[in-house]
Amino acid sequence: MTAGGAAIEPLVRIENFRMDFGETRVIRDLSFDVRAGETFGFLGSNGSGKTTTLRALLGIYQPTAGVLHIGGKVFEPRDGVRLGYLPEERGLYKKEAVLDVMVYFGRLKGLSKAQARSWSLEYLDRVELADKASTRLDKLSGGEQQKIQLGVTIMNDPELLILDEPTKGFDPVNRRLLMDIIEEQKLAGSTVIMVTHQMEEVERLCDRVILLKDGTSRAYGTVAEVQEQFGGTLYRITYTGPLPGSDLYEVTAADVGSADLAPRNGADETAVLRELVTSGVAVRSFTTERVSLEEIFIRVYGKETADLT
Amino acid sequence: MTTTPTRASSFLGRHNLGTVVGFEFIRTIKKRRFWIATLAIPVVMAIIFTLVFASNSSTRATSEAQKNATLSFTYTDASGIIPDAVATAMGGHKSTDPDTALADVKAGRSDAYFAYPANPATEHVKVYGADKGIFADNTYEAVAKQLLTIAAQARIGSPVLTAAAGGNVTVDTQTFRNGQVAGGFGTALPPLMFLVLFYVSIILLSSQMLNSTLEEKENRVTEMILTTLNPTTLIVGKIISLFLVGLVQIGVFLTPVAIGYAFFRDRLALPDVDLTSLVFEPGPLLVGALLLLGGFTLFTAMLVAIGAIMPTAKEAGVIFGPLMALIFVPFYAISLILSDPHSAVVQAFTYFPLSAPVTAMLRNGFGTLNTTEAIIVIAELFILGTLVLRLAVHLFRYGSIQYSSKLSVTKTLRRTPPELTGK
Repeated sequence: MTAGGAAIEPLVRIENFRMDFGETRVIRDLSFDVRAGETFGFLGSNGSGKTTTLRALLGIYQPTAGVLHIGGKVFEPRDGVRLGYLPEERGLYKKEAVLDVMVYFGRLKGLSKAQARSWSLEYLDRVELADKASTRLDKLSGGEQQKIQLGVTIMNDPELLILDEPTKGFDPVNRRLLMDIIEEQKLAGSTVIMVTHQMEEVERLCDRVILLKDGTSRAYGTVAEVQEQFGGTLYRITYTGPLPGSDLYEVTAADVGSADLAPRNGADETAVLRELVTSGVAVRSFTTERVSLEEIFIRVYGKETADLT
Repeated sequence: MTTTPTRASSFLGRHNLGTVVGFEFIRTIKKRRFWIATLAIPVVMAIIFTLVFASNSSTRATSEAQKNATLSFTYTDASGIIPDAVATAMGGHKSTDPDTALADVKAGRSDAYFAYPANPATEHVKVYGADKGIFADNTYEAVAKQLLTIAAQARIGSPVLTAAAGGNVTVDTQTFRNGQVAGGFGTALPPLMFLVLFYVSIILLSSQMLNSTLEEKENRVTEMILTTLNPTTLIVGKIISLFLVGLVQIGVFLTPVAIGYAFFRDRLALPDVDLTSLVFEPGPLLVGALLLLGGFTLFTAMLVAIGAIMPTAKEAGVIFGPLMALIFVPFYAISLILSDPHSAVVQAFTYFPLSAPVTAMLRNGFGTLNTTEAIIVIAELFILGTLVLRLAVHLFRYGSIQYSSKLSVTKTLRRTPPELTGK
């Protein structure tokens, strides 16, 4: 599979990546790249291998085989690309004060003490936690701790921002705040890799996506390319009378008097509409829509899995 | 809200090491729990010193009172040793009737009655007295013995012979090693201080070291750490910070001792150690210092490795306990180590990594560890310490992400070689 667009030197390159845990093969020959400056959606159900891939990319896991490069080489902390990583398993030093932890990580990421302190206070003010600077982390709510973790992740102005399910544990208000921050990072030129189950976020933020299932890529490219790959468009109709089957379309969703039709065998909207009319269907409305990523997700994983996620 | 880090510095590793040391050190000594635990020992010591002080004052007062008190007693002397004049001077009256003398004691007319047998060397001296309490009753025996001693000295009639007979002489011993005067116990003491330091540092810091590395795992902070700094920097930083914490604790422990020794030595009845008798030989001191450093490195590395393997402090304790017990094992054989350092058991203790530091430090102090043995043990401790530290870092790097289950060491070591990662 190849991604669309002009050839740009990728910031992240993964080639023929394979990962085994004992006898279990978790990732099978996975290849993709992430270009500098883009926002990349990393999609897949739980257990599909997303977090494993990120951990191997960041040197936390040793891959069984393959090349995993960031900025042209294997990732090493503080050597090369400035990284901001929000892991799926969240945690900070819970018994320490918020500001102390933020300054500590800021120092580790290369900021001076004054810079780290100043940035932290400004960030705390922005996320409405200014009065919690001296509070121990374990005295904060889960959502507040998430905000601190996000602050620690972005405080070094990362060139590459990797967010593993960033909205997990956020209420809708804070999710909005989080998305604003991600968009700011994107506008500031950061490359963003985002693992998420929120398809509307992906459609809104991501330039390109990869969809994993059982450790293999099932879809890869720009959002439009992936949509195209899975039928691209669908026809939403309202009608009266029976709706017969046809070689020119597949009924992907149906309710009383309405249905979604995915075109088949290269049929366009004119052919499908003609087929419906000649079949005796009284079409009351006919609209053309793109297949949503959620619909694609459901097609790849099945409805049950999608409901769970 | 943009802050670009200073990235070009070539001392990032050292910068991060300093940051880790500072963070770990300050957050430890900022904890109230740390100070409660640290101050508890000097507080207990202060309480003990106060009790000893009070007790000694009381004892001294009692002793003075007993010395000045007059004891009215009767005595019979079948041996004929006791001069009447001496007995009279001590408050005694010679009796010829043991039954009457005993009856007077029972009736309270006399404080005590001493019956000296014909041969005090083989027969018991009988002492009868009016009960004045457990401690005061000891006065009777003391006076009876004192009377007999003074009588014997009077019979000998020579202070020199009296001192010789009582073993009350001073002996100056001088021994030679390689033609040079050996320092004796004064030479042994300085190198043995490293053994004390080793014990103190292991006992005080081992638990903290174990928990310190487990903390990253228990707090789920490992991934953030591993993508931010080199795990070796983290581990070394933790070791250095704990060493500094240990110095603070030792300082806190020693302060009351030093104050007590400097200002209240007489009242606390502390031994008057003559520091001028200590001999500081460079060789044993250097060996002692290296054994301390090597032993500390080895044990610390082991604790870090345990922390990386085990998911919680509770489970780590299962291994931690026996490991600590192994340090104490050489003390069960201390007489053998001192008397027969070349026996098979002592040799095994000398070279077995876990018992080596203590055994070698003991032998080094008492001058039975030769140069070759010292070099082998020091090399063994440093090489093993470095290897275990590298293993510990590897286990932490690839094992601490295993948050909820025990790490399989063999599986971790069997992980694929670096070329597969593209390095």
